[in-house]
Amino acid sequence: MTKSEMSPYATVMDDSQLTGSPIVLAGAGPYGGDLAIAEPLVTGGKRWAEVDRDICLHTEQFPTRKWWLAFSVALAFLSLLVLALVTLFYTGMGIAGVNQPVSWGSFIINFVFWIGIGHAGTLISAVLYLFRQQWRTGINRAAEAMTLFAVACAGIFPVIHLGRAWFAYWLVPYPNARGPLWVNFNSPLAWDIFAISTYGLVSLAFWYLGLLPDLATVRDRATHPWRRSLYNAMCFGWNGSHRAWRHYESAYMVLAGLATPLVFSVHTIVSFDFATSVMPGWHTTIFPPYFVIGAIFSGFAMVITLMTFMRGYFGLKNYVTLNHMEDMAKILMLTGMLVGFAYSTEFFMAWYSGSEWEGFVFKNRAFGPYWWAYAIMFTCNAIIPQLFWFKALRRNTWVLFVVSILVNVGMWFERYVIVVTSLHRDYLPSSWGMYALTFWDYAILFGSFGLFFTLFLLFVRFLPVVAISEVKGVMDPKVARAPQGDRPLVVPALQEVRS
Amino acid sequence: MTPATTAGILGDFYEPADAVTAAARVRAAGWTQFDFLTPFPIHGMDEAMGQKRSWIPWASAALAVGGILFAQGLQNYVMVWDWPLNFGGKPFFSWPAFIPITFEAMVFWSALGTAFIAIVAGKKDSVPQPPPMTATGATVDRFVLWIAATDPKWDAAEAARFVASLGADHVRLVDAEGGTHA
Repeated sequence: MTKSEMSPYATVMDDSQLTGSPIVLAGAGPYGGDLAIAEPLVTGGKRWAEVDRDICLHTEQFPTRKWWLAFSVALAFLSLLVLALVTLFYTGMGIAGVNQPVSWGSFIINFVFWIGIGHAGTLISAVLYLFRQQWRTGINRAAEAMTLFAVACAGIFPVIHLGRAWFAYWLVPYPNARGPLWVNFNSPLAWDIFAISTYGLVSLAFWYLGLLPDLATVRDRATHPWRRSLYNAMCFGWNGSHRAWRHYESAYMVLAGLATPLVFSVHTIVSFDFATSVMPGWHTTIFPPYFVIGAIFSGFAMVITLMTFMRGYFGLKNYVTLNHMEDMAKILMLTGMLVGFAYSTEFFMAWYSGSEWEGFVFKNRAFGPYWWAYAIMFTCNAIIPQLFWFKALRRNTWVLFVVSILVNVGMWFERYVIVVTSLHRDYLPSSWGMYALTFWDYAILFGSFGLFFTLFLLFVRFLPVVAISEVKGVMDPKVARAPQGDRPLVVPALQEVRS
Repeated sequence: MTPATTAGILGDFYEPADAVTAAARVRAAGWTQFDFLTPFPIHGMDEAMGQKRSWIPWASAALAVGGILFAQGLQNYVMVWDWPLNFGGKPFFSWPAFIPITFEAMVFWSALGTAFIAIVAGKKDSVPQPPPMTATGATVDRFVLWIAATDPKWDAAEAARFVASLGADHVRLVDAEGGTHA
């Protein structure tokens, strides 16, 4: 029997054969009717052994020229970040744009922006896991890595915003010789410390737990004894024992169950930084869900941006198929509409509440001096994703890529609008003012992208970018199994007993 | 010839369904010190091998309670007892404000502890395994039956006959000194 007779999946070779609709097998149903089955998550009729090769190969070769080029650019921007931070700490906060009345500026905008980017990774790894969305297996590893690096970028901004970054350790509540002088646990800013550090470390644990079996795969492919030992230590000697899988799977489920409320709590707490103040435009109960959904929206946009590159450069089009991209586009459109709904609700409530201040702030947001920021935000976030009503556009990677970039821009401006427009005109017209980013604000913003992409490029260089063991689990065994008796990878045994 | 230091026996299967069937037969035949080495977890394997549900969630729950107690203890100690501060006449024991950190500490303790315990439990709550870094192919595409020589029923020749009778391919004994090392 050929492979195609065993499984209809063996014949689906690439994106061009995927439709985004189920495969209908005429007469294959239980009572002689048609049987509709989902399209394969992995195309190309891959074997399990080929998955290892396809995904591990780039960690085993000298990096390509494209990788070096990208890495050089990322490092250049990272250097810009370091330069800007040294200058900022040496000179003082005066070189940044923040001042009264806009005392929260680009650092808080960037902080919320990067934390938001991270949320899609946890959503893909945890929430889609709990919902048994098997297409997550192709993208979850890279998306979780994106989360970690986005949190790393986000983490530097509150520290810069402190003004005296060298006292950042004062935020940690530990018995100290300053009184002891404790943090104020009633303050959302203190909650932030716990939320962000918990989020970063739990994401790291979740990501690393998922990596263990794949590190073992890399180890078993390694030829150099040092490489074998290194990866063996990194995977704690994983050998695929089902007695270990039992606990592993249970722990993975528990971590998914914990990460799901965690991801909602983190951006909720970030929104409390705003919502617990008495500023019109910030002091609203809609902020927690509004922030969380915006975070997922922006994070998915970043996943699409990264995946568009990765599936091309690493030859992952069989693992991250057009169907995966379309699924992400659907989530992007859904969350985009929710974000648009939140924008509208804010306006409605500003009018319906009858609060003069609230009403003024929202009129000022849309039609005041920062109308252009509001227009960018609304267009990019609420209007442009509407393109994805059309299937042809959801399945066009160029459209996806451009929209994902626009959404990232739009979501940065959302935070700009929230932070700047509420502050620049508050209760006292005599203290109104304007805010503009300085060169150093821009340097730190673009430099943080350098940090992000440097970390991401190192990740794709040294670790498997797709969750190998999870992808193997969603492949059709009839197609993916090794041929009987074939043993190219098995090292000579001590004693052959049979055959 | 059987070496004096045999650690156990390995036999390959090619598909998860075959592995599950084999596991049930190994168990029915009365072997206890056996395991399956697989590239990914297999549905139904726990039942076939006679494994109970993992006890990991209980550990997670205990850790979660620990995290809650830690956060409540810290915040109440600081805000009520050690350094009470008056914010606009609000009570020192302002428990709603303590909820976010309590939640985060619960998740932090539970998640990190669970990950750590699961890795240790995978090693300790198990049967003797093949020597470290034995190249079994189980991280690639094989579903490898392993019977440890510590099994009460162990007899090398009998084990080899039995594993072959299950339909396993490439049945081989493994040397405890690492005879199958790469």
